[in-house]
Amino acid sequence: MKSLNRVKQHVSTFLAAVTLTSAAFAANAQEATSLDQLLEQLAQGKVAQTQQNKQREADFMARKSEQDQLLANATNERDNQIKLSTELEANFQNNEIELANRQDALNKRLGELKELFGVLQQVAGDTKSKFQNSVISAQIPGREAFLDEFAQSMGSSSKLASIEEIEKIWFELQREMTESAKVVRFDREVVLADGSKQTATVTRIGNFNLVANNKYLEFISETGSVAELIRQPSGRYLGTAADMTAANPSQGTQQVAFALDPTGGSILSLLVQAPDTQERVDQGGPVGYVILAIGAIGLLIALERFIALFLVGNKVNRQLKTATPSNDNPLGRVLMAKEEYKDVDVETLELKLSERILKEVPQLTSRLTMIKIISVVAPLIGLLGTVTGMINTFQAITLFGTGDPKLMAGGISQALVTTVLGLVVAIPMVFISTILTTRSRGIINILQQQSAGIVAERAEKGA
Amino acid sequence: MIIFIEMMNSISAFLDTGGQVLTVIAGVICLMWLLIFERLFFFLKTYNGIKKSVIANWQARADKSSWNAEQIRVAQVSRLTEMLNQNVALIQSLVVLCPLLGLLGTVTGMIQVFDVMAISGSGNARSMASGVSRATIPTMAGMVGSLSGVFVVTWLQRKTKRRTEQLEDSLVLQH
Repeated sequence: MKSLNRVKQHVSTFLAAVTLTSAAFAANAQEATSLDQLLEQLAQGKVAQTQQNKQREADFMARKSEQDQLLANATNERDNQIKLSTELEANFQNNEIELANRQDALNKRLGELKELFGVLQQVAGDTKSKFQNSVISAQIPGREAFLDEFAQSMGSSSKLASIEEIEKIWFELQREMTESAKVVRFDREVVLADGSKQTATVTRIGNFNLVANNKYLEFISETGSVAELIRQPSGRYLGTAADMTAANPSQGTQQVAFALDPTGGSILSLLVQAPDTQERVDQGGPVGYVILAIGAIGLLIALERFIALFLVGNKVNRQLKTATPSNDNPLGRVLMAKEEYKDVDVETLELKLSERILKEVPQLTSRLTMIKIISVVAPLIGLLGTVTGMINTFQAITLFGTGDPKLMAGGISQALVTTVLGLVVAIPMVFISTILTTRSRGIINILQQQSAGIVAERAEKGA
Repeated sequence: MIIFIEMMNSISAFLDTGGQVLTVIAGVICLMWLLIFERLFFFLKTYNGIKKSVIANWQARADKSSWNAEQIRVAQVSRLTEMLNQNVALIQSLVVLCPLLGLLGTVTGMIQVFDVMAISGSGNARSMASGVSRATIPTMAGMVGSLSGVFVVTWLQRKTKRRTEQLEDSLVLQH
């Protein structure tokens, strides 16, 4: 390539020389004033031109050998360079073949070892990601750094693994396995739920869970820290964590029931996302609160009615057993009509009795309709909440499409939670309303159908 | 004994797949049938004795025509009717409660399904299955419980009415 360039350079200088000589000839021509002068000039010019041409010819002849020399030089140099290039190419080719042969020989000599190194690299990568998420790393930190380095060096270069390195991987795998069978206690810094850090005695159960201070912990692999779960599982499971904390290893092996998360913490970490009862109720929105308020009113009324009807029922029962009518119960007040109107005929007495009964009945049935209405209205309001929730959902669909279920979740949970709240209020209300109605109807029955009979029985006994 | 244990196991497994609402439904159905059996016992046994003594008392009366006698008869019939009617309204309300509880189970199950969807996306049908079974099993149980009670309640109501009328007929007034 270099030689070729040089040849080009020589050729261009030669061309430049030719153009310069022709320019000098053009400059000799002069302006003529008359025809004779022009003719003379022409004659002179012809002479001069001939002379010039002769001189140029001589010059050219003199230089021709020089040019030939230059050309020969250039050609020579080009040939040299081409030869060099061919030589180098051949050399490269030879080297390539040599390299391939050597590589082949290496592969042949490595034999099964080559596969082994492939497997080693893969195992190192897998183990690294496994160690990152394993709770055992909370006790033995920094295991994955070596594995990471090892996998990278195996993958990028032709460097072979040393026996020490292979044995170390073996050791680490063995250690993970052995540790996963143990329940171990160790002191470690723990991030509490309020964000503060504290050194605590952590109990590790195999490679499943970490427990400290009667609470479940989570191992955060990104930072390598151990934190208390913000939302702990329900009391039944927390109790087993407390048992685990309380178990005393100094008394030898001790058996404790323990609720472990077989996924190594991922189920427990999902707990944090699931809303608790309070948040659920909040999802119901204003409609949910209205239902709850109505339910609370219903409960208060029911409580008041329960107490009142219970007291009245007791007094009526006592009245049925005693002969003298007292003023503190409806039956007594009805029976007193007989005392007040002793000598009237039976028609009038019946009239007076019904008058008294009519007076008593409203007190016994008051507010019971209210409870009945609440038991009917609560599911209806729940239905209202369902429909508004669905409207929200469809608005979200209109705006964002159906791609993301989370955007629709708000409306759907409102729809469902209000239905639940409606039912939760309605079910006890139906039950309470039945009990109260039965009770009040029983008392009213005694008044309406038996009071006259009681009067008659007493009259017969007295007679 | 082993059969009994296996039965208990399958029942508790069924209750687990149905969730807490199913336990409540089971309680309601148990209470309902307890009350129904109590009623049946009363109708078939206790009531006959009471009825006989009431009729005997009435037959023993000399006066069967005065205002007093009439009122006493009404009171007596009313007392027995009340006895017959006891708890029937409660049983009926339990029959009504069963499908309501089933509906509650459906909705709580649906909430669970949507929770799972929010956490793991809508692609994983298997993880939604437990929510779906919590939605459907209580509905079914509520329906079954309610249906099992409906016939008995109707029968009880008809029986009560009939017995009251029979009693009224057997306590004859003389004019």
